[in-house]
Amino acid sequence: MATGNDPLDLKELRAFPLREPVSGRRYTLIRLETRGGLRGWGECAGTSDREFAQARQLLSGIPATAYDVAWRKLEPIPGLRAAINMAQLDIVGQHAKAPVYQVLGGPTRNKARALAPIEGAAPSDLLASLQKAQQAGYRAFSTTVPPIEWVNQGQAYIFNVRGRMEILRKNGGPNVDFVLDGAAQLAAGDASSIAAELEKFHLLWFDEPCRVSNLSALRKITDENVTPVGYGRNITNGGEFQDLLREEAADVLRPALYTYGVSQSRKIAALAETYYVAVAPYHDGGPVATAAALQLAASLPNFFIQQIPVPAGDADRQMRQAIAGDVERIRDGFAELPTAPGLGVQVNERALDKYRDRG
Amino acid sequence: MLAQAPLGAGAFEKVGTKVRVTGMKVFGVSLTPDSDRPYVFVKLETNQGIVGWGEATLEGKAGAVIACVSDFKEFIMGCDPMQVEHHWQSMYVHSFYRAGPVMGSAISGIDQALWDIRGKILGMPVYKLLGGPHDPLGVRGYYHARANTPEQLQALRHQAKSLGITAFKSGIPGYYEWIETNAKITRAVRQIQMLRENLGPEIDIGVDFHAKTSPSVASIIVKEVEPLNLLFIEEPCPPENMKAMARVARRSTTPIATGERLVASYSCQQLIEMGAADILQCDINHVGGITALWKVAAMAEPSGISIAPHACEGPIGGLATLHVDAASPNFLVQEICSGVQPEMKEEVWEEWLGFPAMRMVNGRFPLPDKPGLGFDLQESALAKFPFGGTKPMARVFHEDGSVAEW
Repeated sequence: MATGNDPLDLKELRAFPLREPVSGRRYTLIRLETRGGLRGWGECAGTSDREFAQARQLLSGIPATAYDVAWRKLEPIPGLRAAINMAQLDIVGQHAKAPVYQVLGGPTRNKARALAPIEGAAPSDLLASLQKAQQAGYRAFSTTVPPIEWVNQGQAYIFNVRGRMEILRKNGGPNVDFVLDGAAQLAAGDASSIAAELEKFHLLWFDEPCRVSNLSALRKITDENVTPVGYGRNITNGGEFQDLLREEAADVLRPALYTYGVSQSRKIAALAETYYVAVAPYHDGGPVATAAALQLAASLPNFFIQQIPVPAGDADRQMRQAIAGDVERIRDGFAELPTAPGLGVQVNERALDKYRDRG
Repeated sequence: MLAQAPLGAGAFEKVGTKVRVTGMKVFGVSLTPDSDRPYVFVKLETNQGIVGWGEATLEGKAGAVIACVSDFKEFIMGCDPMQVEHHWQSMYVHSFYRAGPVMGSAISGIDQALWDIRGKILGMPVYKLLGGPHDPLGVRGYYHARANTPEQLQALRHQAKSLGITAFKSGIPGYYEWIETNAKITRAVRQIQMLRENLGPEIDIGVDFHAKTSPSVASIIVKEVEPLNLLFIEEPCPPENMKAMARVARRSTTPIATGERLVASYSCQQLIEMGAADILQCDINHVGGITALWKVAAMAEPSGISIAPHACEGPIGGLATLHVDAASPNFLVQEICSGVQPEMKEEVWEEWLGFPAMRMVNGRFPLPDKPGLGFDLQESALAKFPFGGTKPMARVFHEDGSVAEW
């Protein structure tokens, strides 16, 4: 890719598709290498050979430091640019011999609050999942609403949701907090009814109570009750975050790590700051993106919490640790910030081969 | 230089007075050497021997305000002190960069001193020049409820009854992130419930959130305390985004008070237009003095919005604000950052001014009846409290080390 002589010019781009043995979760690590031999890592959902060839061409002649320039150039391949952004910043940090957050304005905090998704259809399964995540050190949990049968739900459904939340609080103890994930499934009217029912429950927030479509529908939810709501994991056009803020339809913005990487998430957070709106980046992938998320968290004044997947089983935990080390260790509700240069993960390339996604 | 009409008093020869400002002094006064909010007082002297005092105290930024007052010296020296509105406009407009708390406080100090001189020359207290008083008994006030337990609050309730005090203000515990946990929200709600339960149904209660909360968190707490019929919730969120403030106001019937950080009447226009506030709390030492606070009250009145001016600095601004309060039909209640029991600062104030300034009698601050702002102050009285320099205000942080509002 490189045409000049800058040792930071990008020279090589490689992909490593991976698959977790228990959960079956797939993600792809990418590796950028500079002319001078620095290697940076990023993570995405997946990619194709054609996109890869295009990315190599677009990055030609660009130094790793020009991560904002690369972001614009890579517009035609949205699935890859967040990963490349992480990898470029990884290299910039290594070059500067400092964690990425030191490049991006220095740490604003000394640890990052962590959010664990928990699962289970039956209350007993849900509680087992809660207990497992509590044992892993989390104090805040996200749980999804039960599947819907009709477009509009009735009182039984609303009471069911409230009942599940009350069971969780009763078992979790007083210092445990919850995000309710609507998974963009509900009609706005139902979402608002549930949000109102849970006003005094004090959710951290109600995430994706419904699909981000008509802003008037979303605004109805925040006008009708005071339960905070969050949106953003599916937003691919950054301007829509401004629309949500202008319409006063969101209390938490959730730019997805795979969509916005580190540096673009920072821009969305800057937007949110002027509305006193918190940012809780969305992440449901592997440990390299977790490291990138923690760098982001450390750099943001309005960061609130980082979602970090809880491994579905021991084999998955081993895999995540084998690839990226201890970056996902949680203590008393918070993740420690990486302190090594770059993203702060030493990717073990031999382990990548072991966990390769062979389709 | 740009062409212009004759400067200052020269243009007003036929309609002006012969009084001229001949001296301007600015004093930094630290009650204790490490005070984080030294008073900044302005003294104007005239060729008639009449002097005027004003207050430009800006908490945490004393040095900047002292310098800014001095920057206005050329605006004021040689001018006719009776032209207060004209000089206010000149200081504000000719500064090019409008408003801002440093400049707002400097203008406030000079404006108060000009009004003090006006009143003395015309032989009337300022509230009479402004058309008051609406309430001849004085200005209704509140103290801060320096009480944290049910027992202390109940004692305060009995004290209030015997002293004729009708209102108190309190705060909410701790610091808040922009999204909050159940534990912290519940604690804040219980704290406010405890105030009502122990102060009783008759005493009016204001609760100051001090902009510690985001609109998201404030909305939850404010709605949950609706049944307590508070007099107001103050500064539910920071002041920059008025739409965000309006969002909190819209989601609850609890009256919203705000404005102590706003400068000049322009800054309140959006709050009024959006219905974001029920009560404006501009501070006479920051908003632009008597001239600007009176305008804020005037523009709020047709919208049914009251004023409850903030006052947490020295006695000059405190007394100056009483004049505007007394002359405003939409005045609600006046703050003073003091408790029922006088403290060291009140003793100093009394020593300076010769009367117990900003202490209530039967729940009201008595109105001064001397001309001007209504007090005499000797420079020598201030000498015991030399300027200790600018000191930062409280700096607080969250559990993860990040910056918190206090």
